[in-house]
Amino acid sequence: MHIVIIEDEPAIRQELALLLRNALYEVTAPDDFRDVAAAALAAAPDLILLDVKLPDESGFAVCEKVRAVSDVPIIFLTSQTDAADELNGMLKGGDDYITKPFHPPVLLARIAAVLKRTKKTGAKEPDVMEYKGVRLDIARGSICFQGRQAELTKKEFQILYYLFQHTGKIIPRMELIEYLWDNQVFIDDNALSVNMTRIRGKLEQLGVHGLVETKRGMGYRL
Amino acid sequence: MNILSFLRDKLLLYLLHLSCMMALAVFLLATGYSADGCLLVLICWFLVLCIWTVCEYHRRKRYFSRMEAVLAQIDQRFLLGELMPFSDRLEDRLYREMIRQSNRSVIERIHAAEEQKNDYRAYIEGWVHEIKAPITSIALMCENHKSEVTRSISRENGKIENYVDRTLYYARSDEVYKDYIIEETNLADVAAEVVARNKYYFIQDGVQAEIDCPDDVRTDRKWIAFILNQILQNSLKYRRETGAMIRIYTQRRAKGICLAVEDNGIGIRQEEIPRIFEKNFTGTNGRTHGRSTGMGLYLCAKLCGKLGIGIGAESQEHVGTKIMLEFPAGTFHMR
Repeated sequence: MHIVIIEDEPAIRQELALLLRNALYEVTAPDDFRDVAAAALAAAPDLILLDVKLPDESGFAVCEKVRAVSDVPIIFLTSQTDAADELNGMLKGGDDYITKPFHPPVLLARIAAVLKRTKKTGAKEPDVMEYKGVRLDIARGSICFQGRQAELTKKEFQILYYLFQHTGKIIPRMELIEYLWDNQVFIDDNALSVNMTRIRGKLEQLGVHGLVETKRGMGYRL
Repeated sequence: MNILSFLRDKLLLYLLHLSCMMALAVFLLATGYSADGCLLVLICWFLVLCIWTVCEYHRRKRYFSRMEAVLAQIDQRFLLGELMPFSDRLEDRLYREMIRQSNRSVIERIHAAEEQKNDYRAYIEGWVHEIKAPITSIALMCENHKSEVTRSISRENGKIENYVDRTLYYARSDEVYKDYIIEETNLADVAAEVVARNKYYFIQDGVQAEIDCPDDVRTDRKWIAFILNQILQNSLKYRRETGAMIRIYTQRRAKGICLAVEDNGIGIRQEEIPRIFEKNFTGTNGRTHGRSTGMGLYLCAKLCGKLGIGIGAESQEHVGTKIMLEFPAGTFHMR
């Protein structure tokens, strides 16, 4: 997925690009704003992040120009929090509107939501994730191994989902807990251990051994 | 103005008349007039004086009643000078001119103060929008380079954001009507977003969170998120040392939906509860548990008033606090 960032503040532009690259998006971030609408379209993006306050023209004007030729999804970024502005953005054809200072996880979630909604290149999110023969069923919130299946609670599912997204990497406990809080699972360190034990129990029942490794003092690895 | 005070006011004039009457009587008797004739002249004089007094009293009474009526009718009383009834008396005209001049200067002052206030508010709003760019960059940098240090920076950055937010909402709290969109709002989403915003504090301080908000309400999402954030921060600040817990839940009531934020924190003293929504009220907790500005709950109550949401508190010391927001049922429009 290719995202174009139109943002005149260099610090935000760079860090935003880094954030999106870390989230495995392809990123173009022009730093010349003279004919930015054409430049953005030339990159053939799947989504545009558009700052409202640009040096030459407003983001709304850029949005109109883009809309004249393309219906690529556009998310406005702005530090204005007026309801009037928000309406304006929507009327000009924006798909979403995020106010600064935004929280990076929220931004990523909104981007994913807009991409999913507009389905530019089909639904990217798979229904099932698989690792070492273990299948995580996202729609049903269950886990399968060799035809056997176990239901997961919401907490267990979110933990496994994050680990499945980052297979082979050590996930620090803190990072995992923060991800869970961003996704409406409010558990602390102890509860994470408890849930992890339960997950291991369910995996054992399915006949899976040692799928989730514990790295003492560091975190978990799938 | 009554007749007595009017007479007292004219006392000097009457004394003058009295002395003139006596002088005339003495003169007339000395020049050989009869006592009867002299008495007749004096009675005529007295009658004329009485008639004049009654007429004058009524005229003045009417004049001032009209002025009082004007004062009662207008809400900007400093405009009296322009609306004073016309009078042919020189004194009245002079007073009127003076009051007009004085009022004009008051009006100028009011305009200047209003302009200054608007300028200042515009400046504050502009400043808030500018400061948001660096806050955003810092948040992004911390997210991109996660470590213990950047987590701490994130926490502090979050505090800055909250203070800045409060400034903006304070500047705007008088003009909520200019900036709101009432829409069907999913309270569970708003609550989850606000909790996620404060996740560093929850995780660091080991505070449990629970959200159970199945009900939707019609309100402005942005304002309600701000209000909820203020309440949540209080709950986090005045938490108990171990086993702290915050529950956010909705209840259906006869008159609408009630959103409650309940904690098991240190609670509020019974006698202080009625005052917690007052401006600049800090209370015992505010003094013993770090700085309190006495602004958070005041702003909440003010905004709730503008949005037509009822706000209330229940608390017991050492047991916990519950803040309730009552969303009235049915179609509600901005006050």
